[in-house]
Amino acid sequence: MDRAEDEDVSGAFSKGHPDALALVYERFGSLVYSIAVRALGAKSDAEDVTQQVFVSAWRSRDTFDPGRGTLGGWLVTITRNKIADAMRQRQRESRVLLQVAGGAAVQAPEAPADQVVDRIMLADELAQLPESQRLVMVLAFYSDLTHGQIAQVLGLPLGTVKSHIRRSLQRLRSRLEADGVAH
Amino acid sequence: MSHTDPMILALRALGEPAGTPHDDDHAQTCVHCRHELARLTELVDLARSGGPVESLERPPPAIWDRIAAEIGIDPAAAANAAVNGNGAAAPDSAHERRSRRGIRARGRLATVLAGVAAGLIIGIGGTAGIVQLTKAPATRVVAQIELSPLPAFPQWQGTTGTAVMRATGSQQLMVVTLHAPQRSGFYEVWLLARNGVSMISLGDLNADQTGTFTLPPGVDLRDYSRIDISLQPFNGSTLHSKTSVVRGSLPAAALGAASSA
Repeated sequence: MDRAEDEDVSGAFSKGHPDALALVYERFGSLVYSIAVRALGAKSDAEDVTQQVFVSAWRSRDTFDPGRGTLGGWLVTITRNKIADAMRQRQRESRVLLQVAGGAAVQAPEAPADQVVDRIMLADELAQLPESQRLVMVLAFYSDLTHGQIAQVLGLPLGTVKSHIRRSLQRLRSRLEADGVAH
Repeated sequence: MSHTDPMILALRALGEPAGTPHDDDHAQTCVHCRHELARLTELVDLARSGGPVESLERPPPAIWDRIAAEIGIDPAAAANAAVNGNGAAAPDSAHERRSRRGIRARGRLATVLAGVAAGLIIGIGGTAGIVQLTKAPATRVVAQIELSPLPAFPQWQGTTGTAVMRATGSQQLMVVTLHAPQRSGFYEVWLLARNGVSMISLGDLNADQTGTFTLPPGVDLRDYSRIDISLQPFNGSTLHSKTSVVRGSLPAAALGAASSA
């Protein structure tokens, strides 16, 4: 989906259109769920967090300000909070269990590393690229191929590969910055 | 002094030598270009840290029903709105645009598959095949094959892979990329014969889940027409582990083209 389309979804959402939540979920459900799975490990916990994120986002939609950031970035912030809640809950439960069992102190749970979340957001943005651009970028990032070799492997004109690389890098960077990944 | 060509900055961020000594001098002194290079380099570093970025996982379908139930909307009606675009006006058009793009994408792939002549390839990462590629006067993509998990292995659901086949002169190459979870063991690429028993190992994927393989000269791809990636344990066995991660078939058009190459 292009950024303009994300903005369409975002606009309908902030106006409170009930159908918009389905669109928001379709666009960002995988992003939220993937972050939760990586952070929490257990699928059932990640499912609970995903549910909480979208319910909470819907109920507090009035506080979403499209002028201050992207809907994706806002949802990721809510996701981080819900993950932290889930971890605190787990910690409480394990502390009770340990007390019952006469055990010692519990290790503090670790919040998901920023880099983990950033990488999942990058995966999400990479997945939004048109297919041929996505393939060029996967090769540019993860193969040892030069742009000239990528052009040969994919059978694309050199100029096309160069412009895919330049535009995709810019686009990925701008989007991640808008989502709040800029550091 | 004019700024460095954005193309040169992009290639440098990817670690390719590009530009001239003049660009070096400029990039060191110009705040704008230095900043631009830094933000692109940061992106590349993020992408490359720890191998290929994770593939996203879709939440199970029941989650949407639970959300809809909790906030009191009809999950089916809302889902229809999402699928058919008869909901809010703006998201509507977003969906129409997306489905049109899907159709165009399929059209492009069909063109690629139908319109080509010579060989095979799939792969990324290796260097042996690439040397041949760069020396060859012309190479063509014969097919791009999507690799998907088998129904028998639900644990790989969400895993994806791509194989690009190419021919150059008498050589056939295959560039394979996989997006699978990190598991203990390693991923190995195979050609499977029609009889479902015979197989040829092409080699192992790199740590970044990519690989470039040269196909054995003379292999009959009309027989060895399927590509399979397995997860292999470190147990010393050279046999297929019987754990197939993803699989795909060479399209008929590519087989004909490859065999005549």
